[in-house]
Amino acid sequence: MTKMSKQLQKRQVLLVGDNPFHGISHLSQERNRVRGSESTLPERAADLIITSFKNGANGFMFSVSETTLSILKGICGRRQNHPLELYAILPYAYEYVRLANQVGGIPGLAKMIIKRVVFSRNLRAFAKGLKGIASTDPKSLIESYLYYELSRINSSIDRSVSLRSVLLHQLVTDIALALDMEWLFKLHIDLMSKKAIIPGFNTGNYVYLVEKLRKWNIDLAKLVIAAPFNKAGFQMMPNKAECEQTLKDAKERNLIAISVLGAGYLDPLEAFAYLSTLPNLKGVAVGVSKDAHARQTFRLLAKKLTY
Amino acid sequence: MGVVSLLDKRILKVAVVGSGKMGLLHASIINIMQNSNLVAICDKSVLVRKFLKKGLKGIRIVDDVKKFSDFDLDAVYVTTPIPSHFSVVKAIYSGKICQNIFVEKTLSACYAEAKELYDLSKSFPGINMVGYVRRFSVTFRKAKDLLDKGAIGKPTSFEAYAFSSDLLGIDETSKAPLNRGGVLKDLGSHAVDVALWFFGDLNVSTDETPLSDGVVLSDFLRFGVENQNGLEGKFEISWRVKNYRTPEIGFSIIGTKGKLRVNDDKIELKLKGKSSLTMHRHDLHDNAQFWLGGPEYFREDEHFVKSVLQNVGTESDFLNALKVDEILDILSQRDDENV
Repeated sequence: MTKMSKQLQKRQVLLVGDNPFHGISHLSQERNRVRGSESTLPERAADLIITSFKNGANGFMFSVSETTLSILKGICGRRQNHPLELYAILPYAYEYVRLANQVGGIPGLAKMIIKRVVFSRNLRAFAKGLKGIASTDPKSLIESYLYYELSRINSSIDRSVSLRSVLLHQLVTDIALALDMEWLFKLHIDLMSKKAIIPGFNTGNYVYLVEKLRKWNIDLAKLVIAAPFNKAGFQMMPNKAECEQTLKDAKERNLIAISVLGAGYLDPLEAFAYLSTLPNLKGVAVGVSKDAHARQTFRLLAKKLTY
Repeated sequence: MGVVSLLDKRILKVAVVGSGKMGLLHASIINIMQNSNLVAICDKSVLVRKFLKKGLKGIRIVDDVKKFSDFDLDAVYVTTPIPSHFSVVKAIYSGKICQNIFVEKTLSACYAEAKELYDLSKSFPGINMVGYVRRFSVTFRKAKDLLDKGAIGKPTSFEAYAFSSDLLGIDETSKAPLNRGGVLKDLGSHAVDVALWFFGDLNVSTDETPLSDGVVLSDFLRFGVENQNGLEGKFEISWRVKNYRTPEIGFSIIGTKGKLRVNDDKIELKLKGKSSLTMHRHDLHDNAQFWLGGPEYFREDEHFVKSVLQNVGTESDFLNALKVDEILDILSQRDDENV
């Protein structure tokens, strides 16, 4: 077992999730409209993350967007001695789908991303992108994009902050999974591993992903998986029982549970009691939108999820 | 992993026309299902085809739908921009490429074309379907079930909305949204389809779309419908509404015994003299074998594949979709008259 995979097996992570900062509620959009937009302000979001750190959180899981990068800048100087590990999810699919709608589909979107890469002045991203276009090589293009996103993150954090993991967004992971794009998984793993970043995959299909990764002889001990796990079985495909069984059978502790409150459907006490029964859980990510939520949530999580 | 639990062991050979977001979504789901395999994709862009060829193993990539005739296909998905549906579907039927066709909504860009496609489909024994995905959402299915069982008595009126923030803050002169057929086809069609599914045939009664300096606002529509039983309904449709991060369709229905509210996230039932009951997706067994875009997309494709395998009609066939296009056409013509 490598140093990185040993480290990965030992660590316990309690992450602040970013959904409320993007104005997302998977319970209902109506709930989000009622909740208001305060938590989407970067300064306010940074406050909530700092409060979470003071109450037991030790990291931040976020989709890479202008909003979250602003939040990162806001928390880097204020975190004092609290540990901060970053789990970045990319691409921020919502932003790109919305852009595609506005610019006339995927070709228009591709042009826009290429422009962004060029203007980012990241030479490695630019070179890979150029190679990708010249040789119509999807691998080079994806490498170019990943370098570009890494440069965006790195320019928003200071050196004392650890970019622990970069996870491919659920939409990308699950399309690649369904279309048997083994090369994309391996490319992401290779590229991140070279940079001493733990590669990860955000998925809505945990059971199927684990099965496929094993089939492709990918070492699950060297990566993290973020997938929905909650008492209500919400977003757990194909069903709660199969997800739990796959987790139970896992030899690696690499799962970060997301949607643990079932998008606000569950009471935190019962939600976290359920999580404490799960074997092989590496950690959880939970979004908070108010100070009181931040305090209560992470105090309770730290108490319930002590390994 | 067995994804579709059908006794039928046949595996359908399926192709997709168009590799935009809906094309990739359906291609992925088809490829994951036990009873179907993605065998080919057609895309008109040279660059896209080159990337697809290198990125997807074992899937044929072609530039013309006519080349599908080499693949002995069982079904074809048409996911190109709406204005091209007519020519693509016609080419598939006329070229005898395949008799089982799924078309992303709407069936066509106008009623006349949709009618021609519907008439053409009647000459073939295959299965056809149009992608009105709300019919596979747990909340709308529950609402349909409650309405059919008479839970709120006889419906007397409804208000429907179809809102998104997709184009909020975007230059109103941008032509890009036209690829999606405009707000009425892209978003409003879902609400109109659900209304037809819930209540049966409807006629446009009023068009209250507000004018700006005497010109119809192309991104906002308000109109009324009615049926022969005295039901009256109102629609509001826009893709420039704040705080609709993802498109949302919703209905508020008044019946003789109570009221029903339903949208993509939840359903609320309030019967006269009783306390209200709210059910979220969580309460409605919103699971699928594979989650991409939402469990309803898997259920939609599973329904089409099962219908083809069992040779039975679909939930949302060309005839149903034709009725949607008829209403959209009436509204579009009124808009044109006002411009």
